[in-house]
Amino acid sequence: MIEALLVATLAAPAIFLAAGFVGSWRTRALVWQFLAPAPALAAGVFGLSHAPVSVDFRGLGLSLTLDPPGALLLAFAALLWMAVTAALWRDGAPDARFGISWILTMFGGLGVFIAGDLVSFYLLYALVSVPAYGLFAFSEDAEKRRAGAIYMAFALFGEALLLMAFALLAAGEPHGSVRIADVMAALPVSPWRDAIIALIVAGFGMKLGLVPFNGWMPLNYAAAPIPAAAVLSGAGVKAGVIGLIRFLPLDVAMESWGNALAALGFFTAFYGAAIGLTQQKPKTILAYSSISQMGVIAAALGLGLAAGDAGASGTMAFYGANHLLVKAALFLTLGFVASGARLSGLSLALAAALALSLAGLPFTGGALAKLASKAQFATGWPALLATLSSIASAMLMTHFLMSLTALPADAAQEARRETPAVLIRFWPALVLGALLLPWFFADAPGDALSLGKIWEGFWPVAVGVVAVFGWRRMGRSAPVVPAGDAIVLYECAFARTIALGPVFETADARLRQWPAAAASLLLIVLALLVAASI
Amino acid sequence: MTATPATTPGGFLLVLAVLLPAGGVLLSFVLGGRAAGKIALGLTPVGFGLACLVAMKVAAAGAPIAYAIGGLPPPLGIALRADGVSAVMMVAAAIIVAASAFYARAKFVMPEGAPESRGALTFWIMIQAIWAALNLIFVGGDLFNLYVALELLTFAAVPLVCIDGRPETLRAALRYLLFALFGSVSYLLGVALLYGLYGALDISLLAQRVEAAPMVWTAAALMTAGLLAKTALFPLHLWLPPAHANAPAAASAVLSGLVVKGSFFLALRLWFYVLPGLPTAAPSVVLGALGALAVLFGSVLALRQARLKLLVAYSTVAQIGYLFFVFPLAAGAHVWSPLGWSGGLMQVLAHAFAKAAMFLAAGLVAEALGHDRIAGFTGAARALPLTFLTLGLGGLSLMGLPPSGGFEAKWLMLRASAASGQWLWSLPILGGGLLAGGYVYRILAPALADGEVEIKARPQRSREAVALGLAVLALALAFAPRGFFDFLEIGRPSVSRSAP
Repeated sequence: MIEALLVATLAAPAIFLAAGFVGSWRTRALVWQFLAPAPALAAGVFGLSHAPVSVDFRGLGLSLTLDPPGALLLAFAALLWMAVTAALWRDGAPDARFGISWILTMFGGLGVFIAGDLVSFYLLYALVSVPAYGLFAFSEDAEKRRAGAIYMAFALFGEALLLMAFALLAAGEPHGSVRIADVMAALPVSPWRDAIIALIVAGFGMKLGLVPFNGWMPLNYAAAPIPAAAVLSGAGVKAGVIGLIRFLPLDVAMESWGNALAALGFFTAFYGAAIGLTQQKPKTILAYSSISQMGVIAAALGLGLAAGDAGASGTMAFYGANHLLVKAALFLTLGFVASGARLSGLSLALAAALALSLAGLPFTGGALAKLASKAQFATGWPALLATLSSIASAMLMTHFLMSLTALPADAAQEARRETPAVLIRFWPALVLGALLLPWFFADAPGDALSLGKIWEGFWPVAVGVVAVFGWRRMGRSAPVVPAGDAIVLYECAFARTIALGPVFETADARLRQWPAAAASLLLIVLALLVAASI
Repeated sequence: MTATPATTPGGFLLVLAVLLPAGGVLLSFVLGGRAAGKIALGLTPVGFGLACLVAMKVAAAGAPIAYAIGGLPPPLGIALRADGVSAVMMVAAAIIVAASAFYARAKFVMPEGAPESRGALTFWIMIQAIWAALNLIFVGGDLFNLYVALELLTFAAVPLVCIDGRPETLRAALRYLLFALFGSVSYLLGVALLYGLYGALDISLLAQRVEAAPMVWTAAALMTAGLLAKTALFPLHLWLPPAHANAPAAASAVLSGLVVKGSFFLALRLWFYVLPGLPTAAPSVVLGALGALAVLFGSVLALRQARLKLLVAYSTVAQIGYLFFVFPLAAGAHVWSPLGWSGGLMQVLAHAFAKAAMFLAAGLVAEALGHDRIAGFTGAARALPLTFLTLGLGGLSLMGLPPSGGFEAKWLMLRASAASGQWLWSLPILGGGLLAGGYVYRILAPALADGEVEIKARPQRSREAVALGLAVLALALAFAPRGFFDFLEIGRPSVSRSAP
């Protein structure tokens, strides 16, 4: 049963993808591809209520695994992919380039949660990263092309770091197995342990937007049309979360690495919120909010690693799953507001509840996520920083809501054009879903309803909201920071590197002269002789 | 390959595999241009079948198959020997030659009634000659015999470069010819030294006799330098970019995919079959370092090319560099050596298929657009979807992204570099992948963007399919089962003898 579901999770998108390459089937395949995540949804729901399973296909060298953290993320991601895909193609057919990129990203974005060996994890992770370029960068618009180029550079660089990490992991496994469970069991005694962990953190940190690898995300989300931004920020980024969950040895206490990751995560959380407050475009603000939230997840996983607390994977999967729904719904909220629909008191309240869910507003899914993260942020400086990060999130999300009310006409028009009509019509239902669905999957949802917990969740949100209003009232304006902040420096450095190109060209031209080539031939003979004699 | 009997069952297949294309050459000379195309095309399935048969025989025996010409065993006679790598290379060569020949029909098959062209006759004869020479290189067991094959390969490859007779192609061909001759002289000197020392030219006999003497190292260095010149390893690549970029697409595919691998294959034979008993670690590092420089320079230069064919040609310079990591990563008899060996050969195959596919696709692009300037590609992917899909899939393999043979090669090499503690090699392996990402991006990003291009002539579907087929093969290598890598180990001396 579960074997069939796991295979179908991968097979269904693969079949739609294959059909997408057959000319006469393409249109139908793209229209019906919203069904492709159905097996993933079933597998995710199944996996939540069953013990972890692992299935090996020896002939293919493939192994699939389903455990509760992966299953939760898988189920929520599948739901999101289905909803957005169905609405997008119902509204009219995006072109085939976009369609193929979409289904490739979906394939990777679902499969990465169940990959059980290094090679298939790497493949599916590459699928959720690289083809996403096609969702926003096939454009003549210079800013979108820039965003695409930067996105690609980070994606490929991250892939290279992970490939090295995986090669070291595989080399440390004495029996030649590449199953994730086996290589992770061998990691604590691996001679390359520290290098592996550094590469893992940097590699997945690129996906999560941890400082200093955060600059691509605001550019990407600003360039992406709303449905693409919704799935990338919701489901796509969680590939990084599952990556850290799978490849950090959480059950072995590694204090210095754990504390370092926690520090990096908290720094990212505050940095993202601070830079986000200086931004004016709603999509950019949401991107910085993602950076900030992923920082919180990294911090919690770091603390889990420091304490040798394997439970952090479950709580952070829940935190990530909540963020998955809420962030996607927030992008759709932008489309809803831009559509010019009448904003009743109820819809304003819904939008506010959704936004502040990220800060842990009581009665929202975010309150449950905060509660779950208490396992890692129990006492001492982590608890203090977690509360401060709630305040920062509340400030940032209030800033987001205000930016929605002051949407420039052209931005509103663009957002309206990008958002499928169905999603606008059903927006209240989607928001309610995002707020309430986590309640069905939380460990002990009742705890969040005690008066003490409600107060604990409420006051940081209130402080954050008041702070932003106060700031505005005082008429203070934030400094101007370009979207993507430090990315501007990277681009300068990159331009300097590019300027080295002519040096290589000159050297190549010299070396390709006859005398130089003949001399090289002699030198190679000599070098080989010298090497052989030492 | 120590104790192989003179002739094993199925050994005559090796003779057939060499004689078949050679016979095609003779027949084409006799019957002339119009028949030459038909002969070459007709022989490709037979040759493919033969190569597969050889592979099956080797797999069934689990040991190399051999044939002693004239019934005389070495050192008196000349032996042909096919082990796992030979068989795999023969199959790959048959596929790529067949694909290129099929693709070249549109250009070089002369319709009835039209006057015969010199170019067409040259193409069909030379492509068969290349095939014969390659098969001889893959099965040759005698260093002088291999020298002859190497010369035949060069003399067959040079005319393909200047087939259309334009002055710049003639210049490119002359460059190629002259430098290849330098290489030949160097190789032959080394062979002569070895013969003078041991009175034998047979690979397995030499492997038993060689010892770490200065003269042996001199011979090895001379032979290797000669082979590097023919493989166009940086900094001996002066001839490659103009030659590969100016040849017709079908010829470029064979030149870049196969011909440079011929001389590389001999370098493998020399270091892993003749000299495996000697301490080769330090010279291997020299070869690996040259490979790393090739990856860097080739990739950076590819990034800076304005024309697609030149970009693809410089990418060959870079990808050749990867091949040479096999020397430090597979030398000796360590636990990681099989990983490095598999990775190196996977790179040979992945690059052969991916690069042949990309050259064929580049030819289609040039024909369809009337130019191959990358700056003029904006929107071209929508006009030529299959061709750019081919470029994309080939590029995937060059970048080393999964699923592709290129990924498999890098994955194996990285594991070998980690396991052997030579982690420095992982820097050029990974960095080269990033740079490859850069030049593949340069082709694909504008092509996939919005825009309109003017199509001068729509390419034939069948030719697009041939190129795509090769790219798909490069991807399919990623799914090679374990047995495939075991097959590559057949006949490879692991520890030929204990160190003195």
